[in-house]
Amino acid sequence: MNVVEYNNIIDKLSVQVKSFQEGFSILSGSNTLKELSTNFSHILRGNFFISDVNIFFKNTLSAEWESVVIHNPRCLECLPFLRTSTNAHIDYFSDREFGIIATLPLTDGSFWGLVIGNKIDKTEITELDKITLQMFLQLLDNAYQSFINQRTEKQLNFSLNHRVVQLNSLIDTGIEISKLHKTSSLLELSLERAAALTNASCGVLQIISGGEIISSIGFPGNSDIKKVLSSDKIIDTFVEFQKVKYLFTLSDKESRKGIIDFDQTDRILLTAFARQVLTAIENEHLHNEAIEKERMHKEIEMAAEIQRRIIPQSLPEINGFDLAGINIPSLEIGGDYYDVSKLKDGRYLIIIADVAGKGVASGLLVNTLNASLNAFVENDFKLTNVANRLNKIIFKASTPEKYITGFIAILDPTTGVIEYLNAGHNPIFYSSNGKIIKLDKGGFAFGMLDFGLPYESAFVQMEPGEKILFYTDGITEAMNGKNEEYSDEKLELFFLNNKPSKAEIFIKSLIMDVKKHTEDTPQSDDITALYLIRNK
Amino acid sequence: MSPEFHLVTETKDNCVIINTTGYINNIGGQKIVDEFYKHNGNGINNVILNLAESNVVNSIGISFLIEIIEKLNQSNGNLIFTNLDPSIEKTFTIMGLFQFAKKADNLKEAFKLI
Repeated sequence: MNVVEYNNIIDKLSVQVKSFQEGFSILSGSNTLKELSTNFSHILRGNFFISDVNIFFKNTLSAEWESVVIHNPRCLECLPFLRTSTNAHIDYFSDREFGIIATLPLTDGSFWGLVIGNKIDKTEITELDKITLQMFLQLLDNAYQSFINQRTEKQLNFSLNHRVVQLNSLIDTGIEISKLHKTSSLLELSLERAAALTNASCGVLQIISGGEIISSIGFPGNSDIKKVLSSDKIIDTFVEFQKVKYLFTLSDKESRKGIIDFDQTDRILLTAFARQVLTAIENEHLHNEAIEKERMHKEIEMAAEIQRRIIPQSLPEINGFDLAGINIPSLEIGGDYYDVSKLKDGRYLIIIADVAGKGVASGLLVNTLNASLNAFVENDFKLTNVANRLNKIIFKASTPEKYITGFIAILDPTTGVIEYLNAGHNPIFYSSNGKIIKLDKGGFAFGMLDFGLPYESAFVQMEPGEKILFYTDGITEAMNGKNEEYSDEKLELFFLNNKPSKAEIFIKSLIMDVKKHTEDTPQSDDITALYLIRNK
Repeated sequence: MSPEFHLVTETKDNCVIINTTGYINNIGGQKIVDEFYKHNGNGINNVILNLAESNVVNSIGISFLIEIIEKLNQSNGNLIFTNLDPSIEKTFTIMGLFQFAKKADNLKEAFKLI
């Protein structure tokens, strides 16, 4: 090689280097395999003055060649000459329509195949051309690697973003379904979100109770539920609340290449959605319970108010007597009751009663007692007869564990004679000559038994200055912080030691003494008392 | 609950409006892309994708939408999403779709962006 030829090669190589740089820039900017191949064919045609550049591609060694760029359909006849192995091959032919046949193995196991026609100027392929072609093939290899890297980077970005979407949607769905107050809506929402985030083609949610499917929801809406469940590519999970099972099934995970298997992340996601549903259902249940409790509470408040109105706001004036009473209801509906009514014959009916237990049922029994008594007051009032009839009425109206203890007194104000009857109530304290007489004659509590056992009444003659204390066990059983009751003994002592001239003063003092005993301990039962003094 | 996927297309000047209904998954995404290429092949490179009746999309569906975005970016075209469900809008934002595509509240606003 002389100096001129040498310089000529140097010049040509210099031009080629620039061409390589431009070529790589063009190739590496390709977005698709087709675009990369087309750009490469343009580069070869421009550099070798060849009009006929045909490019093939295959993913694996055993795959068939795919045509990517075809300028001359007759190139397909050369496919058998494309040799695929782990090494690059370039075969040159001087006497054929296609002068170059080359295969290029790539790092990811795929192959390029090139079938290139002869030069337009009919000149032979030189050694420099061969070196240049080798370099361009290397360029293609590099550009393909860059293309693969870009594609991998895009896929990684996409995958990463999708993970963020999955997490975000999981959180959002949890918030959204917690706001829904209709179970069917939250089930639909969670099913469609679970399907979308795992790329499932479709899904089914079955609600099972007692081993039977009571309801099914499909996603998308047109899904054939049997077909979904019969797929061999499914994942499922279930949650259970109050013996109702919610079974989620997703089928046929999608990819751009077809249906694929679900992975562990999909299972975790589905389980997470199902747990959210369980929490939402539990919350909905608790919410409904709270509403129901609130409604019940309001009804109980109304019942308590009605109950309070039964207790007289003021007591009648009884000539020659001073009478005062008090009823302090506890927080619940109580069962204490008292009343004072004037009978048709001028006598007065005084009653104090206590229903066993508290609550709405006790309140209803008090109402029954009050209504019955009011009816009897209108007629001739014979105490034992009234007691017998009251017992039957209360027995019929109450459940076995409910009964009413009561003390009924009929006071004749003109004589001071009191006929009384104690129906299972605390002995009523009557102070006579500095002693306490306990009035306990009568019979069983009203409504406890209905054997026809008659009630018996008794009589006391109340003299001027004598007193009677009617009370319920809310006083004697009032507890302090040490679980100590106020007690019968303490009440007796108080009754004996406190003898004010006014009934109202006694009642106030008694309540103060009870409060002094209980201090800050909440009142657990109704407190009711009546105090009767025969004036001197 | 999402109904079966279908789409309705209308063209106006150099713009195709693709109105979708239902789950945008592999099937839905493929139908959208096919419809896009049909019109893009005729030289239309402005696309409005009205998703008023689609409120669920999976990542395969999104990959088809990205394919449309990449194709339109090569020809300086526009893809505008309209009537997006808030959950889909959030998903598209996280997936980065709005770096290369636009969004509008409704069709009228979408036309202003072309």
